[in-house]
Amino acid sequence: MYDERGIRRVVNAGLLLAITLLLAFTRIGFIPAPTPAGNATIAHIPAIIGGLLEGPLVGLIVGLGFGFASFLQATVPMFKDPLVAVLPRLFIGVTAAYTYLGLRKATKAQLRALLGVLLALVLFAAWRVYAVPNEDGSREALVPVLIAVLGIALVGGLYVWLDRQDPRIAVVALAAAVGSLTNTVLVLGVASMRGYLSPGVALGIGITHGIPEVIVAAVIVIAVVAALRGIGQRKRSRVSQEPPELV
Amino acid sequence: MGSYHALRHVSIGQYIPTGSVAHRLDPRTKLVAFVLLVACTVITKSYVGSLALLGIILAAVLATRLPLGYVLRGLRPALPFIVVLSLLQLAFYNSAAVAPEAKVMVDWGPVTITTASVQAVVVALLRFLGLLFLTSLLTNTTTTGALTHGIEHLLRPLTWLGLPGHEMALIATIALRFVPILGEEGEAILMAQASRAVTPERSGAWRLIDSASRGARLVVPLFVDAYRRSEELVLAMQARCYHGGRGRTQLHTLRLARRDATALSLVLAVFIATLLSRWITVA
Repeated sequence: MYDERGIRRVVNAGLLLAITLLLAFTRIGFIPAPTPAGNATIAHIPAIIGGLLEGPLVGLIVGLGFGFASFLQATVPMFKDPLVAVLPRLFIGVTAAYTYLGLRKATKAQLRALLGVLLALVLFAAWRVYAVPNEDGSREALVPVLIAVLGIALVGGLYVWLDRQDPRIAVVALAAAVGSLTNTVLVLGVASMRGYLSPGVALGIGITHGIPEVIVAAVIVIAVVAALRGIGQRKRSRVSQEPPELV
Repeated sequence: MGSYHALRHVSIGQYIPTGSVAHRLDPRTKLVAFVLLVACTVITKSYVGSLALLGIILAAVLATRLPLGYVLRGLRPALPFIVVLSLLQLAFYNSAAVAPEAKVMVDWGPVTITTASVQAVVVALLRFLGLLFLTSLLTNTTTTGALTHGIEHLLRPLTWLGLPGHEMALIATIALRFVPILGEEGEAILMAQASRAVTPERSGAWRLIDSASRGARLVVPLFVDAYRRSEELVLAMQARCYHGGRGRTQLHTLRLARRDATALSLVLAVFIATLLSRWITVA
């Protein structure tokens, strides 16, 4: 039952958990960001990487460790509640893992189609905001336009970026983004359900916090996975290409 | 250079030996008691219940003879956050949806303070204090070794369900062992970068990409190093014929004493009382 892969999974999970604890218990796990809470976390990244490289179970265990660390370390009442600090964190690595497993074999054309679906969803959301009138019968005009413009800009930017990338890198980025969003959405969702935040405040934090965290997570996860799996273009040093001369 | 030396000294709740009864309890007892008391603290919503629980927990902290100032030390940097968040909560808590019967105390346009929002804030603060004490109660009286040992024992029933109880405890042990090692590695990376004129200072909040690449510069080599170390450890474990938790015996076996039974029954009584009080108020 215990082959090399089994041992490797246990050991890698342990080391990813060690990085999580290191990031969570020192200040390096926090990156200053222009949001009310002041920091974007990168301590959830080992959970995402665990999910990507070792599978959903390892993602879940590292996420559990992250949740437990953030519970022990919490300095705001919200995170001293295990339902907010631990429970949502279990899913970070799991959603990232399944996104990666589902899209791993995707071609560029399929990823483009996915972008099209995303654009359609954004436009649909904008239309819904416009179509449902407010309580006094007026309609929102600015917000749907804003959503649509931002959505088109986002999808356009992603399209250009995807065009120049190895599709495997794009899938890794997508999985990282999904894992990071899982963290943001579930933590804030549970926090507002438990009454620590009103839904409006939660939405505000979600937008100002979730977006920088997604970007940071995608950048770091791509770098790590590319380094470990050797995908993407890597600049090789010219010096090391020449075999050393033996004297 | 002082900032480079901080990484090595990571403590997840420093163990403080005072030789009290709580220190001598079996780690399994402490873990179960911890989980039960956390559950109590989280489900209590009334003033009386929260105060009573906090009193019980405080009594337990005093019984361990841990210096109270040390336990409360973690609170100081958080104080401004707590005050601001509590005020926001007080002013914008959506009482109408959660508790429609609450009385309105102050009503200034968008800011309404009701009895429900006051209760939510006060109970959240009491809960926070209680959980802070509880965390300290567990981690300051138990060594990490005893803790993982206890976790492994408690997770043992999971293996009957086919879940990896032993592996989870092993993962926790490896993680705790490697935190200081990776911390040193992180220091080495920072120093190596500093010697090549990479400034380690944090940039401003608006230069997000800059800060992110700064974070990446430290974290990416750390991951690569962790994977290299993991290969070495895998090889070492294979060389020693590691085959999982089955049939494994331990040098130090855990034994439950009478004090464990006493502590557990006290905690269980508190837990049942909490459940009953909640059930009665609901009914």
